[in-house]
This record gives sequence, structure tokens and C-alpha cells, in this order.
Amino acid sequence: MGRRSLRRDLFAIAGIAVAFVVALLLVESAYYRLILTLVVIWATMGLAWNMLSGYGGLISFGHAAFFGLGAYTATLAMVQFDITPWLGIPMGVLVGMLAGVLIGLATFRLRGHYFALSMLAYPLAMLYVFEWLGYQEVVLPMKRENPAAYMQFSDPRVHALLGLGLMVLALLASLAVERTRFGMALLAIKQNEAAAEAAGIDTWRWKMPAIILSAGFAAAAGGLYAVVLLVVTPPTVFGVLVSAQALIVCLFGGVGILWGPVIGAAILVPLAEILHGELGHVIPGIQGVVYGVAIIVIILLAPEGIYWRLRDRFFRAAPMVPDAVPVATAEAAVTPMRSHRPLLVLEGVSRSFGGLRAVDNVSLTVEEGAIHGIIGPNGAGKTTLFNVINGFLKPNGGSIRFDGKDIVGLKPNRVCRAGVGRTFQIVRVFPRMTVLENVVSGAYVATTDDREAERLALRAIDTAGLSRAEAAQVASGLTMRQLRLLELARALAGQPKLLLLDEILAGLGHAELEEVIEAIRRVARGGTTVLIIEHTMHAMVRLAERFSVLDHGALIADGKPLDVTRDPAVIEAYLGKKWVQRAADRVA
Amino acid sequence: MLKVRLRSVLTAALAAAVLLSVVTAAPAEAQPKEVKVAVIAPLSGPWARQGQLMQMGAEMAIDEINEKGGIKALGGAKMKLILVDAGDTAEKAKNAAQRVLAQEPDLVGGTGAWLSSFTLAVTEITERAGVPMLTLSYSDAITERGFKYVFQTSPTGGTQARAALPTILEMAQKATGKKPKTVGIIMDNTAAPVSFAKPMREGGLQKLGLELVVDEVFTPPLADATALVQKVRRAKPDIMLLLPTSVPDDKLILEKFNEFKLGQGRIPLIANGAHIGSPELLKNVGPQLLEGLMFIVANWGVKGQEAIIERFVKRTGEPWITQDSMTAYGDMWILKEALERAGAADSKKVAEEIRKLDLKEGPAALAFPGGVKFEPNGRRAGAHLVIVQWQKGKAVTVYPAELAVAEPIWPKQ
Repeated sequence: MGRRSLRRDLFAIAGIAVAFVVALLLVESAYYRLILTLVVIWATMGLAWNMLSGYGGLISFGHAAFFGLGAYTATLAMVQFDITPWLGIPMGVLVGMLAGVLIGLATFRLRGHYFALSMLAYPLAMLYVFEWLGYQEVVLPMKRENPAAYMQFSDPRVHALLGLGLMVLALLASLAVERTRFGMALLAIKQNEAAAEAAGIDTWRWKMPAIILSAGFAAAAGGLYAVVLLVVTPPTVFGVLVSAQALIVCLFGGVGILWGPVIGAAILVPLAEILHGELGHVIPGIQGVVYGVAIIVIILLAPEGIYWRLRDRFFRAAPMVPDAVPVATAEAAVTPMRSHRPLLVLEGVSRSFGGLRAVDNVSLTVEEGAIHGIIGPNGAGKTTLFNVINGFLKPNGGSIRFDGKDIVGLKPNRVCRAGVGRTFQIVRVFPRMTVLENVVSGAYVATTDDREAERLALRAIDTAGLSRAEAAQVASGLTMRQLRLLELARALAGQPKLLLLDEILAGLGHAELEEVIEAIRRVARGGTTVLIIEHTMHAMVRLAERFSVLDHGALIADGKPLDVTRDPAVIEAYLGKKWVQRAADRVA
Repeated sequence: MLKVRLRSVLTAALAAAVLLSVVTAAPAEAQPKEVKVAVIAPLSGPWARQGQLMQMGAEMAIDEINEKGGIKALGGAKMKLILVDAGDTAEKAKNAAQRVLAQEPDLVGGTGAWLSSFTLAVTEITERAGVPMLTLSYSDAITERGFKYVFQTSPTGGTQARAALPTILEMAQKATGKKPKTVGIIMDNTAAPVSFAKPMREGGLQKLGLELVVDEVFTPPLADATALVQKVRRAKPDIMLLLPTSVPDDKLILEKFNEFKLGQGRIPLIANGAHIGSPELLKNVGPQLLEGLMFIVANWGVKGQEAIIERFVKRTGEPWITQDSMTAYGDMWILKEALERAGAADSKKVAEEIRKLDLKEGPAALAFPGGVKFEPNGRRAGAHLVIVQWQKGKAVTVYPAELAVAEPIWPKQ
């Protein structure tokens, strides 16, 4: 994303607008004009859905809630207070946005399917509320005098143009989202919310504006829909079909791209109408069957929508990565003076899951500039300890001080901002983004300037040892080595003081292992403190200058690698009692 | 770079192509010496059955008119029915209306669109085009908008809610010689019963000297009706209003009434709406459970319509005629009468003549007991309610007496 030129996109939007106006002028029949109007309204609705669910991956089955509120606000304002829709629709937008805030507050704590299903509930609840309030059928009164002041035009083409204006606004808003860190943050949330948090993206802070923006446009579409239809009933604006329509035009046209909903609406709305008009009275109901089959076929042939299919097929442009090497900081040359200052201090940290003490009273100091290894057999509590440090889990007791500050209870993105980056045992990258984009998303913590973020990202990619060609690849096709280095670079791009590496060496072949070890050394030489988890002693002995050994959640040894590997408790934990004796014999 | 520009051009071209493809379908060609009238009704979706019933009624009327020589004032021009599917949403209904007006610019009038919200949407279009629409929909809003081209043949929802109880009381008094004193209500909390019962609860019952002894509102679907019907057995109201809106709930409640030996007309059960009289309900629930159940409706097969009903049953194989078919049948005859008077296949002139109609006889007046005459707001003057009762597997009109085809079964207390 974000690699298309802005001018070209604006050009395409203008092209669509001109094509629409030309079509509108060519069309004689009021019926086709009505269909054109509905196309732009549903395209706007699809764009609104796309802002939250397409970019952010927070699938909403309930956008009818915002649509309906927009429709009812505009309608009731006119019916009860004689307020023109010119004001009523903006009022509806405000109401929709407010609903977005409330729904977001209540629902964002849920993820995935749970989020989608709870969103389904809102419009259904509102449907019954509005029926109960006695608004089963509300009619926008016909204004015979001064109709234009009430958005009632003798020439219905004005409605189509208003809809076009709204759609262009929605397209511009989508463009703004796509091309800034807003879109990048949403895309990161969509692909892996936990990784986004750990990369310093405050997911809450980005999801909120996304739902507010999305709700606003959905409400505007609803308001205009009411003005065009002139009759508002709860099922027509809060019904499941409304939410489904928003979703379908996106899925059909292309998810997560601003052209998608426009393509979807431009094809599906007229198609449904033509089928209805041509077949509806011949074989009643057959139009629904044909429409459904058409959608199923498209989804099978182009699972992410027509746009992506066409793009992948015909316009697969290689993403551009700037060749200009950023100021290659001579990191190797500068070996900072070791201060031996404690950077991370854990005191009596514990974390239990039920009766299991996964981390048991661990006290540990990581010195600035060190490569500090935490080793221990499988299930020793190493990853849990990391999760406690970076904020995924809250400790049951103890204190964690980083750089002199208490970081217990901070959210992961806050811990990241404080200067703690991390990688994951199970690789968590953003598969649809390129390597560079992945890394840029990690750089956003360090800077508010998007150009600077890209510069930092490129430097991190260099430090990690990935090539420029690799930087342009899409993350979904990477090898394990590349994935590990990518995670390293992404964590590094945020300019952390401390980097938590969770089994970064797992699953690597011998040559790859050497490469990653070298990369970690480069990181440390650059002045970043590294805390690394590994369960294979072998590689760690060469890498770390200090070892802490965990077993059953408790710290059983802490010191220089050589001393630790001779510690009988460590040998017992790894190999069993029998080996303790043998090791002792050998020493003797 | 060239490739890239091509992409944006293609995107725009694709959008344009799709938009333009809409234009290509040409409107159907008009045939001379035909007068076109429309039935805009849901022929697909959940209300398709009602639309089909309307279609049957309208087709029968058109055939009769054409067999008898068409529109004489237009040199025997035949009437042609344009069937339009209003679909399952107000948006589709509105599109359908816009489409038929675009494709049939010489449409002189029509009937539709069954569901009130559809009718509201459709008439927004026909009003602006100056095409008269007749409708059986109940919503008061239809004729409260100051429209000139909509004609409502049924009593409105508000009128029905106000008139229902007095009508029932009149009938009860005639049947038993006594005025009922107590009433019970069992209803679900959906829109139709809520708005129907609202004026009754808000002083309507008191004014009629009725005491509400059972008042039960449930959220559908109903799991068990025992508790509800036990309360009815204890209170023994003189009349019982039964206002659920779904067939499974209807069935559950009726079964309980029978189990408690309160069915078969032992307590007068009165429901609301034409769906209670549909042949489908008979199939689902069976004649035993329905026996004695009454319902209030705007139009039904009544005395004087025997010939129409007989022709309809013979023609369609339906067990009897419902409100939907009878109204559509009558609407076509109203349009025919107006065409004869207008002497031109012009929708505005036809509307003008409909406003002036005062029919006391003929098929149109038969179809609408009380005759065809419209008030200035478009409501049919003298449209009143009839009460229909299930008797031996048939839904027959039992009130008012001048229209009744059978005596009501009413418990003589």
C-alpha cells in the first residue's frame, strides 16, 4: 500500500466523478437516474464499512446501526421539527459518530468473530427500539413550496450529484487513511493486533477514529438514502440487508482498497435491479438466486474482490524501495563504553495461571549494553516472563523498573514507547505488507514524521542484514531466516533501548544461525541492550555475556555463561540428576 | 509508469462502462389500442403470496372487462395488466415504481403495493408522475400527506383500531342480548399489535365500560402458553383479544385454549388482520383449533359477492377469496369505470374521474361493500370493518348482518 502516486489516485477519483456525471447526462429515464443515485449511496456505505473493517480488519456486521441513525435523524428532524435535511443529514452524521464512540467503547475489547457478532446486535436492537418508539413508517413530508430548501428537487439528478459528492468525500477520506500512518496502523491491527501492540501501535487510539470516521460516512449515506427514498422504516435502514449490502459491495469489489466498494456498487446495484426488473415478474424470486450465484462465483474466483484479482493478474507492479542508502551509521566502529548501569530491574516478579506459578519470584538485573541470555528448558516460563515485561500480562506481584521507571501495568504499546522492543517465538509479521512496510510500522513509535520513519526502517533493515531486494518482498513469501530478521528489524526500527528476542534462533539451519547471531551482535554494538530467550544452550554460550537460568518459573542461576553451565542445579534442570554426578566427576 | 497510468484509466473506464450499461436496456414498446394498468406488489420475498393473490384478483377483473368488450369509451380498447414485482424492501418497491413509469409512460393507473411502507414509497413516485394508485394498505400516513393521486380503499389503521372494539361489542350484544363487561388481551410486543392495542389501553376500554381482566404481552417466540391461558381461565373475560403475529404462536395459544376447554367459541376469541383468514393458516393449524376464532378485517367475501367468489374459486382453485384478491379485483373495475368516464387513456384525467366516482352498483361497488366514493383526502367513504369467523374449516363473514354469509357462533352465557 501507500506506494501508488497520490496524483494518479486523485486523477482516478476525478475520472470516476466525470464518468458518473457523463452517464447521468446521457441517461434519459428517471428510473436509471434513481439507480445511479443508489449506486453512489451504496458505494459510500461500502467505503464507510471499508474504513473500519477493510483497513482495520474489525469485521462489522452492524453498519446498519450508523446508516439507520443517520436516516432516522434526518427524517425525524424534518418531520418533528421541520429541520431541512441540509442540516438534518449533518446532524445525523454527528449522531452516527457519537454512536460510533459508544459502540467502540463497548465493543473494542472483543476481537475477531466476537467483535463481528456483537456488532450484529446493535442494529437489531435499534430496529426494535425504533419500532417500539412508534416509528414503524415515517414519511418525509412533501414540500410543495420551496422544495429545494428541503432537498426535494424537481430534477432527481441533483440527488445523484449529492450522492456523488458524498462518495468523492468518502474516497478522499479513504485516500487520506490509506496514505498515512493511520492506514498503516489499521493494516497492522488487521493483520496481527498483538504484534501491532508490541510494535508500539496504540491499537485503541487508532480503532476509535476509524469507527468514528466510518460511522460518520455510514450515517451520511443513510441520511441521503432517507431523502431519496422518502420513507423510512426500521427494517429498511436497520435491517440485516443493509449491513450485508455494505459488506457485499466491499467483498465483491475489493476489501481494504478505496476502489473496491465503488467497483462493487457499480456492478452489483444495477445488476440486482436489472435482474429484478427483467425476471422478477416472470419467475418471482429467481433474481435473488441469480444474484446470489453471481456473488458466490466472484468470491470463489476472486476471494479478496475483483480489484485485487485484476491487480494481481494484470498490474502487478513491483513495490518501489528507495535505493539511496541512508546515512549508514558507522555502528560497527563505535563500541559504546559499557556503563554497567542497570537498565532493567526485576524484583520478585511472579505470575500464576491458576495454580501454576509460571514465573515465580524472579529477580533479575539487565545491564545497559549487555547481551543477556535467559535460558531454561521448555515450559520454564521464559516467554511468560517476556510477556510480563512487555505488558501482555500483568504480574501478580513484584516490581519491574525500566530505565528507572516503573513499567508494571502499562499497556504493551506504552512499554514499547518507553523503549522496550520485542520479537515473537511464533513469528508475527503482517503478511500482506512488504518487508519495508512491516519495518516502517515498527518505526512509528520513534518518530511522528513518516519520512523519518522510513529512514529509520531502512537503517534497521541494514542492521538486521536484509538486502534492498528483500525489503521489497511481500512478507507472506519469506523464508524463516528472512522472517526472523524482519522481526528483528521491525523491533529495532522503533529505536528501543532494550530488545527482547524470543527464541529468535529457533528453526534455523546452521548457516542461517550464524547470520542471525551476527545480526544480533551488530544490534548490540549499535548500543541496544539485548535480552534473549533460548532453550538451546549451544548458540547462547557464544552470544550472551550473561546468563540467567529459569526452571519451573524460578531463577536457579545467574552469572557468566561458563559458571552457569557448570552449575549443578542447571545441569540437573536440563539433563537430570544422573548427569550432575557425571559432570562433577569430570571436573574432578 | 505507462503501465501504471493504464491502470487508473482502466479503473475509470470500468466504472464508466458499468454505469453506461444501465442505459442500454430499451423500454418496452407500447401497443396501440391497449390501456395499461399496473399491479405493483411483492411477487418475491416474504410477502410474495399476498402479491400473487392480488395478481389473481386483478387478472380476473381484466379478463372480465376485456371479455365484455373492453373500454367502450375508447372504442373497445383492451385493458392490459402490467405486473411489477415490488420485492421485499421499500427501496425495491420504489425502484419498481420508477421502473414501470419509465418503461410504460402511458400507464393510466394501478394498485399496490400491499405493505404500507411499500405503498408509501411507491406513491411518492406515482404522485409526482400524476398516476392514480389505489391501495388496500392500512397506514394512516398514506392519505395524510396531502397527495392527490392515491386512493385508499381500506379503512385506515387508526380507524380500524378505533372502530374494532365498538364493532365487536355491537356484534356481541346482538348475539347474546347482553353487553360484554370484561375483556382480555394476549399479544406479542411487535409493532402491529402494539399500535392496535394502544388506544384501547389508553382510555378506549374505559369509555366503552369494559374492564381489562387479562393483559398479557409476550416477546415472540412463545415457548409455552399454559400460564397465559390459565389466567384467561381464571378471569373468564366476556371477550378475548388474541393478537400474536406469527403462526407458531397462534397455534400454541389455540392449542392451549382447546386443552383448557375454552376453544371452539366457548370464550369468544377475536384476532386482528387478514392473515388469520389465510388458507395457509388452515393448513398449518387445522380446522378444529380454528373453529370459532374471529378476526376483524377491512374487506372479505361478503353477501352479494357470491358470484364473484364462485368465479374466483373456479378460476384459481383457491378455497375462497381473500381481501387481497377481492380488493385488486375491485381496483381494476374502479379504473375501468374511471376510464369510461374520462374517455381518454390519460392518467391525470383518470385520477380526476376517480375523485368524482360515486358507484352504488356494478362489480366495483360489489367488491367494496358500501360503494365507491372517495373523500377529498383519498380515503374511501364508508369503508368499514367486517368480522369473519372460522366455521367448519372456512373463514366466513359473520358481521355486519347485511353483509354476513353466516350466523356468528357466540357462546350464549
